[in-house]
Amino acid sequence: MTLKGTLKKELGTNGLGMNGVGTALARLLLGATLVTAVPAAPLLAETLGEPEEPQVGTIDAPKPNWFYVRGGWGSAGSSIFDAGTGKMVGMVSTSRDSDLAIDPDGKFYYVAETMWSKVNRGTRMDFVSVYDSKTLKLVTEIPTPGRLIIGGFNTNFVLSDDGKTAYDYNFDPASSVNVIDMVKRKFVRAIELPGCASLIPNPGVGFSALCADGTLATVAVKGASQDITRSAEFFDAAADPIFSNVIYDRKKKMAVMLSYTGLVRTAQIGAAPVIGMPFSIQEAGGMRAADVKPLDIAWYPGGMQPMALHRATGMLWVLMHKGEYWSHKEGAEEIWGLDLATKKVVKRYPVEGHPSNIEITQDDAALIMINGMENDARIIDSRTGETKHEIKNAGGGLITVVQPR
Amino acid sequence: MIRFNPDAAGEKMLRRLAGGTSRRGILSRLGAALVAAPVFPLLPVSRAEAAKPDRSPEAKTAFARSAQTKDDTKCNYWRYCAIDGALCTCCGGGIHSCPAGAEPSPVSWVGSCINPDDGKAYMIAYRDCCGKPACGQCGCDNTDRETQLYLPQLNNNVIWCFGTSSMEYHCSTAMMIGAA
Repeated sequence: MTLKGTLKKELGTNGLGMNGVGTALARLLLGATLVTAVPAAPLLAETLGEPEEPQVGTIDAPKPNWFYVRGGWGSAGSSIFDAGTGKMVGMVSTSRDSDLAIDPDGKFYYVAETMWSKVNRGTRMDFVSVYDSKTLKLVTEIPTPGRLIIGGFNTNFVLSDDGKTAYDYNFDPASSVNVIDMVKRKFVRAIELPGCASLIPNPGVGFSALCADGTLATVAVKGASQDITRSAEFFDAAADPIFSNVIYDRKKKMAVMLSYTGLVRTAQIGAAPVIGMPFSIQEAGGMRAADVKPLDIAWYPGGMQPMALHRATGMLWVLMHKGEYWSHKEGAEEIWGLDLATKKVVKRYPVEGHPSNIEITQDDAALIMINGMENDARIIDSRTGETKHEIKNAGGGLITVVQPR
Repeated sequence: MIRFNPDAAGEKMLRRLAGGTSRRGILSRLGAALVAAPVFPLLPVSRAEAAKPDRSPEAKTAFARSAQTKDDTKCNYWRYCAIDGALCTCCGGGIHSCPAGAEPSPVSWVGSCINPDDGKAYMIAYRDCCGKPACGQCGCDNTDRETQLYLPQLNNNVIWCFGTSSMEYHCSTAMMIGAA
């Protein structure tokens, strides 16, 4: 029990008003003799005997049924919620507009962030903060030359599958990617990547990225040099963009991409990524495909983090709303469950509150979390659509989960 | 659907910028950014020589159909078709002026918005005002032709406070650049 807890109990058992706070505090500060002199109330479960020492807790290593929920725009901290209980278990210190990545070995949390020597002015400092996953204490900081200050995306700061290298997207306002050695905890070098962003890990190669010319660039990092190759053009970045929050499946080495109109594409990631044929999520739901034309009311995907993949079952969960094209930031009215193997929408769950972020735990429980502008979150059983927990003030930003290796 | 050429947008922005700033550092980085220009897709463009664009209600986006030209403190003011953030007009500033104490960003993202009075499309530069805490008034998030991070000049999530003494975001203005 904390000092605050002790004080509260004293106030309760002795019926002290506000004027009694000083008296109670004085008792505490005077030490054990006085504290023990206060008779314990019969309702108290614990014995108020020995004076207590302030303590600090620890938490478990990252668990598959934890959601890491970023506060709303401009706020700091990623609250960790247990999907099973709906209870908060801790918080990772993610500063405003930072990006969080979880060490695949579960030992560390990495936070790519930016601060100034005088809070909002002075010398700018960019770095990756390394936190011990159990104590949540800062281990070290790795200085970097810069990063895009934005938050809200899971593709700006990504780790290689072995966790040994981090790729941190920078935009100043030219595009580059900082390569960071997470073993030596040292910035290695920056790679210029004009016209591309939205990073996808590419095991054994480096990383891939979506580009404004409608291609997927692959950067093969080779010591001090790199080869940058591009796929054939497969999407129109201005007419029907692919959401920057691409999902990557480590086990299958597969990326899942979703466009504003609802075209779903998967890509096999490798030295030369193989991009599958797109299919329409609306057609997968038994409707006609959505269009880019005004006044064409259809179901569209929308939000900031509009989809979540349950990797073991290949189920893609998408935030959908009814509207016209160019409504891609609108929150959801329904969650659609799309089976990527059969290309069929097999579940549709109505949701309230227009959530704009969705994620799903990667364990067998497959619990979905949604949140949005109101900062409240909801945990839903993906099999039944049943709400398991409603969490007030959970946070309204990006949701992160532990990825299976 | 109205489309415009990001290459042209970048060129106009750069011209505008060249006349209005002496920040060599930011210019060189912008120059690097524009190296990307040749790889941008060539899109159908509503150029003067092109066929007259369709401005019928059926061809307009939901935003354009309800846009107005009278009140620039409302989210549906026509220039705000792709704005995201607090309107500087609600924060003590104007449509193209920053509130006192704030600093305009030398770079911006752009939108192509239709003025309902003359039915023409104009290119609008959404220039952030920086260096003060978030204004918090008149928050809008309009998304006509708004794209993702790999096409940043058309993305409205990026805080464009580059080249300013502070990157703290205060509010957004909507400056007219010219006909789209």
